Amino acid sequence: MEAARKIDENDHTVYHIKTTGRGPLIETEHFCLWYGSSQALFDVSMDIELGLVTALIGPSGCGKSTLLRSLNRMNDLIDGLRTRGAVRFDGHDIYDRDTDVIGLRKRMGMVFQKPNPFPMSISENVTYPLKVDGIHDKTVLAETVERALQGAALWEEVKDRLKDNALGLSGGQQQRLCIARAIAADPDVLLMDEPCSALDPIATARIEELINELRGRYTIIIVTHNMQQAARVSDNTAFMYLGRLIEYGETTRIFTTPRSAKTEDYVTGRFG
Amino acid sequence: MYKSITFALTRTATAADQTAEAVKYIRRKGRSDLSARGEPFLWGLGGALAFGMLMIFGFLALIVWNGLVTFYPKPVQVVTLSDGTLLAGEPSRSEVYKPGPQVLEHLDEPARQAIAAEHGYARRTLFRTGNFDLYNEDFRWASDFSIVSVAEPADVYFIERIEWGPFVGFIRSLNLKGETVSGAALTRQILEEAHRRAVQRRELIREIEREEIGAVNHRLNSERLKLKRIALKQGENSDTYRQAAAESLALQETLQGRYHDLARDAQAVKAEDAQYTVTLAEIGGRGKTIPLSQVVRFTLPNDMSFFEKIRLYLSRWLEFLTDEPREANAEGGVMPALFGTFVMTVLMALAVAPFGVMAALYLREYAKQGKLVSVVRICVNNLAGVPSIVYGVFGLGFFAYICGGTIDRLFFPERLPNPVFGTGGLLWASLTLALLTVPVVIVATEEALAAVPQSMREGSLACGASRWQTIKYIVLPRALPGIMTGLILAMARGAGEVAPLMLVGVVKLAPELPLDGFFPYIHLERSFMHLGFHIFDVGFQSRNSEAGKPMVFVTTLLLISLVAFLNATAIVIRNRLKRRFLIGHF
Repeated sequence: MEAARKIDENDHTVYHIKTTGRGPLIETEHFCLWYGSSQALFDVSMDIELGLVTALIGPSGCGKSTLLRSLNRMNDLIDGLRTRGAVRFDGHDIYDRDTDVIGLRKRMGMVFQKPNPFPMSISENVTYPLKVDGIHDKTVLAETVERALQGAALWEEVKDRLKDNALGLSGGQQQRLCIARAIAADPDVLLMDEPCSALDPIATARIEELINELRGRYTIIIVTHNMQQAARVSDNTAFMYLGRLIEYGETTRIFTTPRSAKTEDYVTGRFG
Repeated sequence: MYKSITFALTRTATAADQTAEAVKYIRRKGRSDLSARGEPFLWGLGGALAFGMLMIFGFLALIVWNGLVTFYPKPVQVVTLSDGTLLAGEPSRSEVYKPGPQVLEHLDEPARQAIAAEHGYARRTLFRTGNFDLYNEDFRWASDFSIVSVAEPADVYFIERIEWGPFVGFIRSLNLKGETVSGAALTRQILEEAHRRAVQRRELIREIEREEIGAVNHRLNSERLKLKRIALKQGENSDTYRQAAAESLALQETLQGRYHDLARDAQAVKAEDAQYTVTLAEIGGRGKTIPLSQVVRFTLPNDMSFFEKIRLYLSRWLEFLTDEPREANAEGGVMPALFGTFVMTVLMALAVAPFGVMAALYLREYAKQGKLVSVVRICVNNLAGVPSIVYGVFGLGFFAYICGGTIDRLFFPERLPNPVFGTGGLLWASLTLALLTVPVVIVATEEALAAVPQSMREGSLACGASRWQTIKYIVLPRALPGIMTGLILAMARGAGEVAPLMLVGVVKLAPELPLDGFFPYIHLERSFMHLGFHIFDVGFQSRNSEAGKPMVFVTTLLLISLVAFLNATAIVIRNRLKRRFLIGHF
């Protein structure tokens, strides 16, 4: 299925995404963002389809990480941040005053560029989202550990040493542990900020495999530098350049028959 | 450098006669570029470190050596002087000096020539003669030219006394309740047995006077205060007061009776004790009779085996560490000062840690990083440079007079005008020092917090944790070793601080420890003793600075050891914490 439309007269975004017919989960509407006086995002409007994997690609500094972090308001930590426009999650504008930011983040698991397990045991890492939620029931925690680690394809490797310190795991295992932590509280969305950039090719392949397994269960948004990766794992791909959304469409089309000249230049490796 | 070498090599390859010149060029270049090679800087840096180490270790060696040898028994020499008098004492140090012309005039020819050969200088030795009650001095100089002979007789005693300092001389006789023992009959066993009993009596008197009479006095005083409290609350004409007064009177009478009984007991033991005396004789033959219980220990320093000397050495250390001071702090132990320093430092750490950590948490985790925060940070850093005596003045004014005064008015109105909290005390001293060291803790904590990777905070926040949960579960545990380091520095600074304490509660001699058997057992309002002030007092305020000098070293050694001990404890705790975060740093 394909939905092609133009947002408005002044917008140059080429828009031709694949949908499942279940409708968008996250919509950004003319979203602009400033760090102090410098603008990082210009008028970004995109719908992120429920249950699909959406990749954000583009050269360094194009604002793809900023956009990702705007979705669960991780950018709030930065002083002097301003936004305009709206980001709707389930129809509710998350930049509204009455938004429960903590509740929002609980519905969106996040995986970072560098694996960042906490200096605790493996099981404590996984149950951390439940701990901050005030859940202390041992059986619930134990079930969550097994479910989340199996979901992150790490269970078989660590089931005998759940009490060991998580910092003793390898880089790839640490990143899968972070994914387990992100899905432990059963969120709706999984945000991944270049999850493989610090990993070797074999660990990268495992993570990609995992993303394919998680497809459908979670709405996944993945920022990546690696165009092959975007082509391999995503359903839709958004190409960003200098803070603008240039083209947003079905992944196979973006890589084979891009409609924007800039996208074509980028995916064929002429710049970036 | 490489460029010039390759350049030189190409030249060598093309023209053989230029080879020698090219090599010379490389060598000259290498030699002249000393600053590029950096040797002078390396020497400078290493030299600076070596100089610093030398000073630190030299200082420590001086303290440790002088502190350790003080209690080791030294031989007592009996010196015959040229004018025929005898002098007995421990040689403590010797020096070269220039005798005056009057002294030289009275010398015989060979001595004068010897001094002239040394360009007018002569050597003299300081002897610790003791017997202050007889000589009015503890030390005496003896010039080498006036010494005829030196002997170390085995039977000369060095007797440590409760009062008047040591006695150097002989034991003439022992008077045991009218029975006189002297000469050959006075054996070592008889002496030691009699002394042991005398010490028991001394301790019995002390126990009666201190513990039992002290307890009675304490109860009498609290009865009186209770009554006064009722009078203040209900008025002196109320029925409650009259009833309480009657009850109190009865109780006071019983207590008075008990007091008189105890005083009589003590008097009886004292009268008994006075009948056991020892008659001593100094080297010149003058006698002195003292109660046996006034003697701390008899030693024969010239007639001791190595093991006896070690035993004496250890027993002196034990006395030093566990006893109370006597003789204006110049002798006896330092237990109250040791205890006071320890308790004060621990209280200070307990006060400064939460306060400093919380302030740093707000500054680093919550406050918006801007101009205002920078100004606050600079102010905090500058606070560390305020002279400590200023903190003492502030502590006295704010803590003791304002806070303590208010507490007194609210909770202890019956004791006024005598202050309870309204004067210097352990609590106020600890809080003053906490204030003094809080910048150290804040700065160290801020650094520790800044060292926690931002990715940890982000990971936690992305899990739906609140800021406080992130701090509690992720940031603080990670920063704890660094915070402990700051606390260690603060403790080291606080334990060695003296000047502010003199204003807020440290005294020369505290009558009571801050910890005792009377409710509420810990008395934070009491004034206390401190090793740092003790050093000042012994070294510079005592009647005899020469006698105090070794004690200064010993007390300094003890203070350094205490600080080292506290630091070592904190370091062990810190390393335990650190180990949790060190796994898997690849």
